[in-house]
Order: sequence, then structure tokens, then C-alpha cells
Amino acid sequence: MGRSVWKGPFVDAYVLKKAEVARESGRSDVIKIWSRRSTILPQFVGLTFGVYNGKKHVPVNVTEDMIGQKFGEYSPTRTYYGHGADKKAKRK
Amino acid sequence: MVERICVGSIAGSYGVQGEVRLKSFCAEPTAIADYDPLTNEDGTREFQITLTRPVKNGFGARIVDVKTKEDADALKGVQLFVTREQFPELPDDEFYYADLEGLTVVDTGGAVLGTVKSVQNHGAADLLEIQLPNSSETALLPFTKDAVPTVDLTAKRIVADPPVGIF
Repeated sequence: MGRSVWKGPFVDAYVLKKAEVARESGRSDVIKIWSRRSTILPQFVGLTFGVYNGKKHVPVNVTEDMIGQKFGEYSPTRTYYGHGADKKAKRK
Repeated sequence: MVERICVGSIAGSYGVQGEVRLKSFCAEPTAIADYDPLTNEDGTREFQITLTRPVKNGFGARIVDVKTKEDADALKGVQLFVTREQFPELPDDEFYYADLEGLTVVDTGGAVLGTVKSVQNHGAADLLEIQLPNSSETALLPFTKDAVPTVDLTAKRIVADPPVGIF
């Protein structure tokens, strides 16, 4: 069963506070967070969070299409390299 | 020395008429058939393949000169390679993982930060995993124009301007 709408999205309070401080400072530092369960809110767009995966903080640059997802979805806890083959990386 | 990149492997035979089961590691799995010829690891044997059908975890394929199930069984475990020159050209700001891996990363002051160990994408953006010098630790650097202003493939060097909190 999904979360009741009247509660609104869940976000740990410290994440909101850190994001607000970062936005006001205007700097592009990585905001280190441990809260993988927090929902990505519209006010986080453009910020870079370092989401802890149990070992290190994985940089996650928040874009509009991530809104509503959880931070943990972008910071896998298991290592998998696979083959590079002809895969491409785009510099945005 | 020719740089060879693994794009697939033969997982065994498929059926009894000499087809093989092929695993593709390409970004677009069917693109493996566009590379011609494919070779084994040391380049001593060439394979010309034709995909016949999708099967579980790969494709059924025919290889020229492989006629029987026994021939196909003998190829089980063979990895398929292409040379870097066989890859199509890319537009600006797009790079093959194979080109980025192994590049030296320096900061804007010229100090060496490490070498690129791998390129990862967990759904957000591409990340460069950087092996730090004299350490077993790695750091993840977002592959953006702000954090990586210069990629010089000829000099095998990346200039990084990492945001605070990465290293």
C-alpha cells in the first residue's frame, strides 16, 4: 500500500536544512547525506548530493525527472562493473 | 599494439544445427552484429556472425564456418573483441568508456589526482571512478562540464575541477 497523500512526501529534516543552506550559499559543494529514504523534492533540483551507500558518498546531481524518487535509488549498495564495450558517457 | 575491446561472448551452442548462443555487452545489444569482423582475444581467429533470433539472456547466432553442434560447443566461453577503430565516431562531449578508462586525472593546478578506473552510471549521471594514487581508495567524480572541463584523449589526460567534498 502506498503512502497516504495527506502526509506529504517524507524527507528527513536534516536533508531539508542542508539543502536550504546550500541553496542560499550558491556554492556547488556536494551535500553529504546518509538518508537514502528521503524523497527528492522540487527544491533539490540543481543541487548535488553525496548519497551514502554504506561505503562512500555517491554524487547525485538532481534533475527534474528524479522528483518523487528516493535518494537511495541512485546510490547502489552493490558493486557491479560489467563490460564497458561500446557504452558511451555524455558530458552534460 | 592493437587495442581490443570485448563486446560479447559465446555462451555455448543453441539447438543442434550449429547455431551459438551469443551474449552481447554492447549498449544496444543488436549492435554486436554490426561489427565485422569480430575476433578472439589475441586476434588470431575471426568470426563473422549473423543474429538469427533473440533467446533468453542473449541471441541465437550463426557463425561462418561453424556448421555443427560440436563446432559450436567447442567455442563455448570464447570472448569476442573488436578494435577501437571499428567504433563509430562520436559527437563532441560524448566519449566511449574504453577511451576514458586509464586516463590520468589532474586538477586545475596540474597536481595528479589519480587515474580513471571505470565509468559508472547509476541512473543520475555518468560518474568517473578515480583510483587515488598510493591508495586502494577510489573517488567518484561527476562527469559534467563543471567538474571535468577538459578531456584530452591524445594526451591521455583529464583536467578536473572537483566540487568540495569529492576528494
